[in-house]
Amino acid sequence: MEEILERLPGFVESIKSIKDTILTNVVLLGEIPSPTFKEKKRAALLMERMADFQVDECTTDGYRNPIGIIRGTGKNKPPIFIVAHLDTFFDKDIDYNYIIKKKVITGPGILDNSLSVGVLATLPEIFRTLDLRFESDIVLAGVIQSIGHGNLRGTRHLVENWATPIRGAVCIEGGELGRLNYFSDSMIRAEIHCKTTDTHGDHYPSMSNAILILNKVINKILNLRLPQTPQTKIVLGKIAGGVNYGHIAHIGTLGFEIRSDSDDMVKNVYSDIQDIIDGISHEYEIKLSMIPISNLNATRLEFNHPLVKSSAAVIRKLGITPISKPSESELSIFISHNIPAVTLGLTHGENYYLENAKMEIEPIFKGIAQLIGVIMAIDKGLCDV
Amino acid sequence: MFNWIESNTFHYSAFRDLKKLVAIKKKKNLTISLCLPTLNEEKTIAKEIMIMKSELMMRYPLLDEIIVVDSGSVDNTLDIASTYGADVYESDNILPHLGQQKGKGENLWKALYITKGDILVYIDADIKNIHHRFVYALLAPLLLYDHIKYAKAFYDRPIAIGKNKSRPTGGGRVTELVIRPLFSLFAPELSQIIQPLSGEYAGYREIFEKIPFPIGYGIETSMILDICEKWSIDVIAQVDLERRIHRNQDTKALGRMAFAILKTFLNRVEKIGQIELKKKLFDDMIQYNLVRNKYQPNITNMEGFERPPMIEIPEYREKFNIT
Repeated sequence: MEEILERLPGFVESIKSIKDTILTNVVLLGEIPSPTFKEKKRAALLMERMADFQVDECTTDGYRNPIGIIRGTGKNKPPIFIVAHLDTFFDKDIDYNYIIKKKVITGPGILDNSLSVGVLATLPEIFRTLDLRFESDIVLAGVIQSIGHGNLRGTRHLVENWATPIRGAVCIEGGELGRLNYFSDSMIRAEIHCKTTDTHGDHYPSMSNAILILNKVINKILNLRLPQTPQTKIVLGKIAGGVNYGHIAHIGTLGFEIRSDSDDMVKNVYSDIQDIIDGISHEYEIKLSMIPISNLNATRLEFNHPLVKSSAAVIRKLGITPISKPSESELSIFISHNIPAVTLGLTHGENYYLENAKMEIEPIFKGIAQLIGVIMAIDKGLCDV
Repeated sequence: MFNWIESNTFHYSAFRDLKKLVAIKKKKNLTISLCLPTLNEEKTIAKEIMIMKSELMMRYPLLDEIIVVDSGSVDNTLDIASTYGADVYESDNILPHLGQQKGKGENLWKALYITKGDILVYIDADIKNIHHRFVYALLAPLLLYDHIKYAKAFYDRPIAIGKNKSRPTGGGRVTELVIRPLFSLFAPELSQIIQPLSGEYAGYREIFEKIPFPIGYGIETSMILDICEKWSIDVIAQVDLERRIHRNQDTKALGRMAFAILKTFLNRVEKIGQIELKKKLFDDMIQYNLVRNKYQPNITNMEGFERPPMIEIPEYREKFNIT
């Protein structure tokens, strides 16, 4: 491991020498609209760029995840996966224009996840610049349908249908540099939909108002007793309803997330909320339904897993303090299939989910050096159990 | 009726083989310069330089230099352009004894003196969806076909509107309302040029150095007219670059553009004897604004100053050893 760590500071400067190429890929790929379920154009360009950067094989899997493979020198070493999700939180009709200044790039989705996709496309060139060859095949995967309703479908398909064992995976995200995710909480995201008509107010006038009904649901959710162990929480994240100021709202939607380090606890709380929904729906004779959007089981590597320890050492060597929190991302799919995986961030930034998201350019080179260090550690067998 | 549009119109996708273009450039022993004329373009300039440098200098060495010629930006255009590796020049400091004019045409003309390439590519610095096809696709006809000396872009041009929305449009209002009627009336053959006002074109130095450059909006129109008159439309190619997103201009700004173009055009057709102007054209574009219930004129003086062919400038002849 020491040998790898010693090379890292030198990598930073070498990677910086192809800054224009890295940022060009970030911009060209990131300026293509790519809402979840509509990633086709970005996926096509990623394939084109990977082919242009001379990966040994460029293809899509059965789910249309674009994949580039750099063949390794070892004959029997399982592949290492580098994964970046292609979808963004933004609709396709906003202006996907990135503004580049001396130190920052601003634009929708730049941190989540254009930077990672651009780096993924440039990795073959980065490996050549650093004169690196690997024993394992390196599989570069831009996965589709990850966020929101996508519910990590692209990653699930990729992992479940890959024909050979997988040695390890590194998932990359735009920010924040220093993140070292190696576990995910159990989680369910769901939406509660309420629909009323004027007749619902015959006995209880307020019950024709969908917003007031959702208010009742919220109050009951807030009354639920949640344990401190296993750690459990409910996040009320989105609410919408009504048409205009002067009319009673007949439709309303509440989006929420239940999260815990216990799968059973998430199921129990979900069941409690279902009871609340059923009760209100029954008592007031209104249409109230709950629809699950996405779910994950709790998965984790232990802190003393060699992949986690190696990754932490790489991050520290670059003068960054590793920070570990649960991550509901591609990572959990790999770990749930007993494939060691971590998620790394590449730079610093702000306004992640706004159209004026901003990322810093200079830290990217350390972020990429960190990624290279972790790939090298996996390839050298330092992360095998 | 005309067959130029069939033989000399290309689509950028035909020129994706950049290795082949680099090999031809090398075989023909050519050098190529990219020039970006700027005035307050801090939001777009870095992206243009970065993509061209990465794709057409580092990865596929088609370009030998990227220069920015600036008309006096007051934002950070020059600082950013320099940071991203362009050679940056202030127009006023190039051949200063010949006076200082403001306008895109002035920057393009002075770029002829500063650059060293056998071929020059000019692209506007305000393109939001910049891609290296904007350059390589213009160079390709020049490299691949010996009779082509000048290549011009055309697009489907969505205009950015509002804060962040964009909508598809034909764009090119001045083209359709001013240029195309003029071409149809005086030089129908030129109506085959789909976007004569596009700001992206490439050509051999031997062409650019022999034609005059109006300093303002008339530059694109005069360039086409002069090239066709001296060499014929057959030396021109046009390339479909598909999509260009740029800043929208208000109707009054387009009116001033139309004024400059009309003036340039009429002077050109008079020069070749197609019309006779009994009186010199006026220099002021007069537009009206309603201010506190009173109509007030807004007068813009546009003399239509033109720089002579660069080959007539002694310093240029000396620099390029022209006897």
